Order: sequence, then structure tokens, then C-alpha cells
Amino acid sequence: MNGISGLLVDTLAFLAPLIPVAAGGLATEYAGTLNIALEGLILAGAFSYAAVGSILGPPAGICAALGMTALLAMGADWFSRKARADSFVVGLGVNMLVPAATSILSLAVFNTKGVAVIDGLLAGRPFDRAVQLPGIGFLFGLRTSDYLAFALAALVALALALTPFGLRVRAAGMSRNSLKMAGVDTEKVRAGAYAVSGLACGAAGAALVASVGAWVPNMSAGRGWIALVAVYLGGKRLGGTFAASAFFAVLLSIATRAQALPSAPAELLMAAPYFITAIVVIIGSARKSRRGP
Amino acid sequence: MPQLSLRTVKDTGGSGAVRRLALALVSAASLAALSAALLSAEPLTALRAFFIAPFYSPATFLSMLELSAPLSLCALGVIVSFRAGHFSLGGEGQAYAGAFAAAALAFFGPGGSGNSATLGAMLAAVLAGGLAAAIPAAGRRFARADVLLTSILVSQGFIFVIDWAIAGPLRDTTGNLIAMPALPSGMLLKRLAAPSTLTIAPFVALGLCLALSFYFSRTRSGVAHDLYGRNRSFAALQGFNVRLLDWLPIIVAGMLHGLAGAFMVLGPRGTAIRGMSGGIGWSAIGAALVAGSNPVAVPFAALLFAWLDSGARQAAVLSDVPPDAGLAIKAVVILVISARPSWSAIQTWAKGRFARHGARRSARRPGRSIA
Repeated sequence: MNGISGLLVDTLAFLAPLIPVAAGGLATEYAGTLNIALEGLILAGAFSYAAVGSILGPPAGICAALGMTALLAMGADWFSRKARADSFVVGLGVNMLVPAATSILSLAVFNTKGVAVIDGLLAGRPFDRAVQLPGIGFLFGLRTSDYLAFALAALVALALALTPFGLRVRAAGMSRNSLKMAGVDTEKVRAGAYAVSGLACGAAGAALVASVGAWVPNMSAGRGWIALVAVYLGGKRLGGTFAASAFFAVLLSIATRAQALPSAPAELLMAAPYFITAIVVIIGSARKSRRGP
Repeated sequence: MPQLSLRTVKDTGGSGAVRRLALALVSAASLAALSAALLSAEPLTALRAFFIAPFYSPATFLSMLELSAPLSLCALGVIVSFRAGHFSLGGEGQAYAGAFAAAALAFFGPGGSGNSATLGAMLAAVLAGGLAAAIPAAGRRFARADVLLTSILVSQGFIFVIDWAIAGPLRDTTGNLIAMPALPSGMLLKRLAAPSTLTIAPFVALGLCLALSFYFSRTRSGVAHDLYGRNRSFAALQGFNVRLLDWLPIIVAGMLHGLAGAFMVLGPRGTAIRGMSGGIGWSAIGAALVAGSNPVAVPFAALLFAWLDSGARQAAVLSDVPPDAGLAIKAVVILVISARPSWSAIQTWAKGRFARHGARRSARRPGRSIA
């Protein structure tokens, strides 16, 4: 695998857990609410996959990751609607609760608060032999879990773009009252958007664990926030969101590859994508405000 | 970010600061008791550790008071930015930058000890916190960039850079802890009541709480600040300097977070330790929420959170309660406080329940039904 091909494989590997989360964040954004709990949901998905997968195997782990995060996301939405709580604060609560809860549960399930290496959860690379193909070889260097994450992101995108559900979700974000007048239960539509968001985060969490074969505390490592940034950087459009996610994945993979240089400090290289993205956000906002509302 | 309905932390609940604090205290105490009962094999020891150990002696209580000071300052920072409608989530990085700057001044600075060195370290921390907030503030002022996004990105970037500095070139290689060299004892804040760790920090925090309360309730600038947070255009129509409010609250919030970092370093810790901010930015948003965005209530909310931290730590040491129980309780308290079910909604729900119950009873005993 040459340098560029390796960089592309790394970029896709970084993109795999990011792109479903961005698609999920876009679903709730379309529905008119900001799901700030993406970070906590990814972690919940990762832990569910690791905990259930370590006992019942990876397929059960994936089902648990998808189910638990969908339930958690819907629960958070239900709580904010029924208790008239602000979804921002509820999301914040979820983001604080999940790391603490996973740490407590990790002690019970894995007998450690730290890293737990789990046999059998590391996903294989099914098309490894095709990596040498010229031009497109990099597409075949990923793990099974990465392909599943991409597939789920594509499903979410299709659901939002082409199905009546997607149309209703977007209508709920544009004018909830109009949708109500059309006889649609807007609360169910919003709950559906949250469920999609949870499913996507669950897939991302499972992909993270499957890529290293271990549970690592706080392994979401800011991906939920990055996904949220991608949604806004991409102008709240599917194509733009995916492009922004790819941009961040490229930056991260360059930073990671540069760590191989002995004189390059890893932390400084990892800081660069965040500063660059912040500057890109500011430049994008400046151009937008110059164009006017 | 048009879909974000939260304008101020104050707006997220229906009750006043006192009721909110009481609700937080009751829910925190209940959850602490529940976690001691459920998570420990020695529930009585865990309960004692949670409820008695932090108040066992004046020294433990005063140390807890000291622990609450940085959180108070961060919560004040949250209030300053959120009440202006700037949802800055970069408090974590700003507090860490403040802590690092205070320790770095001792490392690189002119040396010396005493009050001037301590004040210099505090000033450096305040400037570093403001600097960490400068990019989001400039983005807001000149590009109308969303502070929520830029602040979290810049904060994360700063955390990586400071992690590198503490673990790399500035690390004290004589110990196993990933930390900078210990500050000279003459530079640290004096302990007011040894053996407790109490310093002047809680009193500074209290003074700033009172000053901010006065600012928001008694000054024209405070009114402008609040009005700007609710409706920028209306504040501009009233003749207030909205351009200043576009960026200044973000910087001031950063400075308050930086000062909190200085108190962490100049107080009990005595140096900058890698990862020392430990979620203070998020806890501060929770504390501001519990305080109902009222600066006067902030010390009480911070003390409540400090008790949860201290109690959970004691429970982890003296029994087998997981140390993260405190964080979990804080999170649930935030969720409880965020709820604001209206009385009319509860009455409607209760009426519905009674009506359904009555209908079921009537259906079971049709002969005795009046209808």
C-alpha cells in the first residue's frame, strides 16, 4: 500500500464512525431540534456493543448497540417533551451521565474501569486481498464494521432524502404547525428522527469498538461534537454534511500519519484539525453573512 | 443556530433559585443514598462516607468549600456568556489554559514569591482564559460565527496543546505524575485554616458572585446584557452597544474560567497536572442551571456539586462505591432540574388517570354504576 493509498484508507477508517453520526445529527436538525447528546450516544453504543458482544457475540452486540442508543435517544426526546425540559440541557445531562454510567458498568462487566480488550470483537478486513488493485484498492482496506457504518449512513441519507418519513421530518423542522394541520403526529415524527439519530450513533459506537477490539473509556473522543460541526459546516444539507465530515477525516488522518515523524508531537498534530475546522467555520460564517440572510 | 430554544440557563426551568436549589439538594441526597444502597456491599459505610465524612470536621468542610471555588467561577462564566445568548461550551479548555498559564509563569517567569508573584500568576491565568476565548469571540464579532461550534473546537484544540506541553517539554521528570514542576510554596495561596486547604479563593468567588449580581440587577449595562441575550435587534433599537456585546461576554467568561484554573493550581494542587480540568466546564453549566442563572445562588450550587464530588470520593475510599457515582448523580440532578412540568399539565394528567380509573371501575361493576 503506497502513501496516498494508505492515507485514503485511514481517511475512510476515520470517516466510518463519523459519517453515520453526522447523518443522525442531521436527522434531528431536519426535525427542528439540536441533538447535542450525540457524543454520549456514541459512547453508549460502543459500551453496549462491547458489553453484550463480549457475552453473546458480535451480532448480538450490534443489535444491542443499535437498540440501546435508539432507546436512549428516544428517551431523552420523550423526557424533554413531557417534562418541558430544554433539549440542550437534556443532551448535556446525557453527555455527562453516559461516561459515568459506562465507567460504573465497566467495573461490573469487565472488572476494570480502564481499557478492556475483548476477544472476538475485532472486526476483520474481508476484502484485504483487493487492496492492491490500482486506483480503487483503498476502498477494500476497511473492516467489516466500517462498511456497516457506511451502509447505515447511506440508509439514513436515503430515508431522509427519498422516503415519506424523511419528507415529514423535514416538514416538522420547517413548520410544525403546518404538519399538524395536515394530520401528522409531529411528536412521533420527532421521536422517529431521534430514533434514527440513536441508531446512527449506535452503529458508530460499535464500529469504534470493532476497529480496536476493545472497550476504551471515553472512546467517542469528541466525534459527536465533530459531527455536529459537520452538520453546520455542511449547511445542514446531506451532501454538505458528508463533505464536511470527509474534510475532518482527511485532517485527522494526515495528523495521525504525521505522528510517524519522530520530531512531530502527537498532541500538537491532533490539535491542528480542531483549530483548522474552527477557522473554516468562521470563514464560512463570514461568507454567509456577507451574502446576507 | 436557530433551532436552539435555550436563550439563558435561567429560562430552562420554571422555579426560582431557592426552589431550584432545594430540589437539587433533595434529588442529590436521594440519589446519593440510592447509589450507596445499590452500588455498595457496605451501604452503611457508603452512606456515612457520603453524608457524614465531608462534614465530619471543620477541616473537611472548609476543604470542600475550597473545592467549590473554581466551580463557582466557571459557573459565573457560563452565566455571563449564556445570559448574552452566547452558548460557549469551551469552558473546559479555558480553565485548563488558565491553570497552565499560572503554572507556566512560575516556570518561566521572573521568579520570586509572595503576593506579587501570586497575583502575577492569577493575571496570567485570566489572560490565558481570555485568549482561549478570543477566537470564538472574534468569530462572533466579525463573522457572526456560531459560538457553540467554534468554542468547543478551539477548547478541544487548546486541551491537546496543553496536554502536550505538560507531558512534554514542561514535565517534571522527577515524579511519576504527568505534571509540571511544583510551584514554589511562597507563590501558592496562603492556607487560612490549616489543616484544611481553605484559601482566599471561595471569598474571591463570593465577591465576584455579588458583583455580578449587582451588575445584572442594578446597572444599565447588565440590563443591556440581558436584553441582548434575548433579542439582539431590540437591544440595538434601544441604543445599546450590541457590537461590544457580540464579543465581550465571551471574553469575560473565558477570563473567569481562567481565574478558576489559577485557583486550582495556586490552591490545593500546587501545580498543573495533565487533565486537571476534569470536566469542570460541563459541571459549571450544570451548576449555573441549578443556580437558575442567578449569580447569588451560584456558591450554593457549586457547594452542592463539591459535596457530591467530595462525598463520592470519600465513599470510593471508605467503601466500594464507584468514584464516578458523583458524576452520575450530578448528571441526573441536571436532568431533574431541567424539567418544568406545569401544574396544569400535571392536573390534566391526573384527571385523565382518575377518569380512566373511574371508567374501569364502572365497567367492572356495572350494577353499582350511577351512570
